[in-house]
Amino acid sequence: MVVGVGGVPVGAEQQKGAGAARPSRREVARGLLASAAAVSLAPVVAASRPAPPVEAADGSSFDETYRGRRIQGVLVADAARQAADAAWRITIDGRPLHLMRRADGSWLSMIDHYTSYPTPLAATRAAVDGLGPGQRLRDLAPGPMGGEHPAHRTEGHDGVRA
Amino acid sequence: MAYVRRDVSTLTANERRRFVNALLALKRRGEYDEFVRMHIDFYTSDGENGLRSAHMTPSFLPWHRRFLLELERALRRIDSSVTVPYWDWTRDRTKTSVPWTKDLLGGNGRRADRQVTTGPFAYASGHWTLKEGVTDGKFLTRDLGRAAAPIQLPTRSDLKWALDDPVYDVWPWNSTVTKGFRNKLEGWGPGSGSTSWRNHNRVHRWVGGAMLGGASVNDPVFWLHHAFVDLQWYRWQRAHRNHRYLPAQPPGAGDAQHRRVVARHEKLPPWDETPDQLEDMSRTYRYG
Repeated sequence: MVVGVGGVPVGAEQQKGAGAARPSRREVARGLLASAAAVSLAPVVAASRPAPPVEAADGSSFDETYRGRRIQGVLVADAARQAADAAWRITIDGRPLHLMRRADGSWLSMIDHYTSYPTPLAATRAAVDGLGPGQRLRDLAPGPMGGEHPAHRTEGHDGVRA
Repeated sequence: MAYVRRDVSTLTANERRRFVNALLALKRRGEYDEFVRMHIDFYTSDGENGLRSAHMTPSFLPWHRRFLLELERALRRIDSSVTVPYWDWTRDRTKTSVPWTKDLLGGNGRRADRQVTTGPFAYASGHWTLKEGVTDGKFLTRDLGRAAAPIQLPTRSDLKWALDDPVYDVWPWNSTVTKGFRNKLEGWGPGSGSTSWRNHNRVHRWVGGAMLGGASVNDPVFWLHHAFVDLQWYRWQRAHRNHRYLPAQPPGAGDAQHRRVVARHEKLPPWDETPDQLEDMSRTYRYG
């Protein structure tokens, strides 16, 4: 799977993205929720049979059952986004998993937060490994997707500028 | 008068009980969960835009120092004799040594679901139901040593490797730097797999369960671990007296790290203090 989304070197991505407008995490959260609803229609239909692993040849999506969990991911094509912001919509058993990007191009999730993985698929599998047996992602994983302290962040930037 | 943070293995039975009880009181009042929430909210990764105050950044150390102080103040409002002890994971290295005892943090999670079932933080005790987190699990989980693919805690020589670096941190001030004390201690290595997690990061992984994720604060060992990490910063300062927190100045407008890291005299969100003000804690606490 191709890691460098858009083929842009990571350093360049950072520079380009540094001052750019970016959807707030709340907006991203809404998008993720909407997509999660859409993506989760499929598993409802397919839940009773094991999903054969499907990985798009260009590495832009995956859909498989890993250790008994249905994991699905799709690269969101959005021309308005910066390459560095290329977003994956990922679910584990239909619930959204937020991935973060490391500066070296690798990926990490809220479940496995102190290690990163070369691809979104690898990070999603690692999140399944990190989820205890019987545990599910929170319906709306609160921190990364909607529970941010906007005041803190704003103050942070102002504080740094001052 | 500065108070003392001690090695958790030296606490008396009474001291252990008072520390645990203060934590349970904070949890009961709902204050503890605010700490869990805050740690989740301030995790900004270095491949994303935005200011990194807590992780993958020079202010990893002062941010967690200030975070610990906040917790310690809350604990000391409940019981003024309490301080946050540290867990020296270079010495207490097994799944049954301190702090994994019934009178402190309880033991490993059970095999079936990683649920911690012993000690004061076991779900069945009724005092430690997880409220903030990235999963819907209500009970504390651990997977000490990672049963499926065992790993070891960092060693004394792993720590020495970090402490011997005289430079605090280097550009680009993130998880990719291979030099500088800060990342050698925080522990982001290249690639993935066993050799890529070091020191601080490796300990989170060794404990596993809740400690592996963004809501790691749900496991009270978080504080004992970070007190020991904080002690390393103090040791580094003593070993390299001519060196200080870097960057001294904010990265300029043409720098990819512009407004993404906290320089020595900038405020460290969400607090009003700067890394400069958090370098010397000798009037507040010392390590015993």
